[in-house]
Amino acid sequence: MSGEHASSTVAVRVRRLEERLIEAGVVGDDQLDAILTGVLNGASPVNGARIVARAWTDAGFRERLLADANAALPEVGLSMAGGIQEQRLKVVENTAEQHNVLVCTLCSCYPIGLLGPSPSWYKSEAYRSRVVRDPRSVLAEFGLTLGDGVRITVWDSSAESRYMVLPRRPDGTDDLGEEALARLVTREGLIGTAAV
Amino acid sequence: MSRVNDVGGQSGFGPLEIEADEPPFHADWEARVYALNTALVRSGVYTLDEFRDAVERMAPAEYLAASYYERWLHAIETLVAERKVLGDG
Amino acid sequence: MGEPQAAFAAGQRVRVRAVDPVGHTRVPRYIRGHTGRVVEAQGRWPLADDRAAGAAEPRVETVYTVAFPARELWGGDGAHEVTVDLWESYLDRAAEDRA
Repeated sequence: MSGEHASSTVAVRVRRLEERLIEAGVVGDDQLDAILTGVLNGASPVNGARIVARAWTDAGFRERLLADANAALPEVGLSMAGGIQEQRLKVVENTAEQHNVLVCTLCSCYPIGLLGPSPSWYKSEAYRSRVVRDPRSVLAEFGLTLGDGVRITVWDSSAESRYMVLPRRPDGTDDLGEEALARLVTREGLIGTAAV
Repeated sequence: MSRVNDVGGQSGFGPLEIEADEPPFHADWEARVYALNTALVRSGVYTLDEFRDAVERMAPAEYLAASYYERWLHAIETLVAERKVLGDG
Repeated sequence: MGEPQAAFAAGQRVRVRAVDPVGHTRVPRYIRGHTGRVVEAQGRWPLADDRAAGAAEPRVETVYTVAFPARELWGGDGAHEVTVDLWESYLDRAAEDRA
């Protein structure tokens, strides 16, 4: 109950601030609507899943994606221009020997314009504090246990690059086409807290 | 400066809370805050770095008690007041 | 007049300056004073510290991906690696670098 009350209080605060900024001509109603439509309709983990499925099925694309993701994205009709400002995208590839997992310990850097807002756990102090120090225990909380021989790299996104993980293609998916493969990829897989 | 946001390697924040099928925003006001911040940065009222700085300047106890988008709202209010963009100081 | 040269190359060892600047910075505490290996130079961007301080002409510097072994950061037996993205003025060439 108190949570709902607090939430409605903050909602009122937001509405007032928004009204005053619009009245003063600092921001526009249409501008805000366009931003929201953009992030809600244009940015989603589905974009990441499409990129991954293409990389799994097209070796040339995979190579171009890993070398320069911003230049490769237009091949699947995507770009990094949808966020607050355009950023460099770096795609890091999981292999049998190497697992990658992403974090922003200082705030919450994430390719929002491409993948939509990050999950709450990604922004939490619990995740940000611990994954750089003890990634295996964090991954275990997600139900992901890696073999002892697998090297882990934790990418702390602290400047102007945003990261995305290219998970390993699951075994037994040789018969699946690009669309079916894309449906296997989760948001956690793109962050590195799930295998796919 | 070492501020409350700089949590890498700290202990004591407890287990993760993982929400299945989490929506992009949990309330309409969170989405409005996201849109406001994007508009204010794109309009040049402040930079993303100034925004992060404003979040980090929160008192530690207040920062830790606030939800993610409450921190954003706090930072936007701080910067809007400091920039006097509403003309009332 | 070409682009200014990046001070560090991939594979070189660098030490993060152990300073605690006044104001906003993008150097997490947990790597200050620690030594890592340059993975790559990412490109050049305005320094976040300057932009957060409202500088009219922020310094534009190369940002590097720098990898730190978990043992260097935390001691213990952690076998993983942490990479952090760091502007050039956060870094010095590591004293032990003989590459």
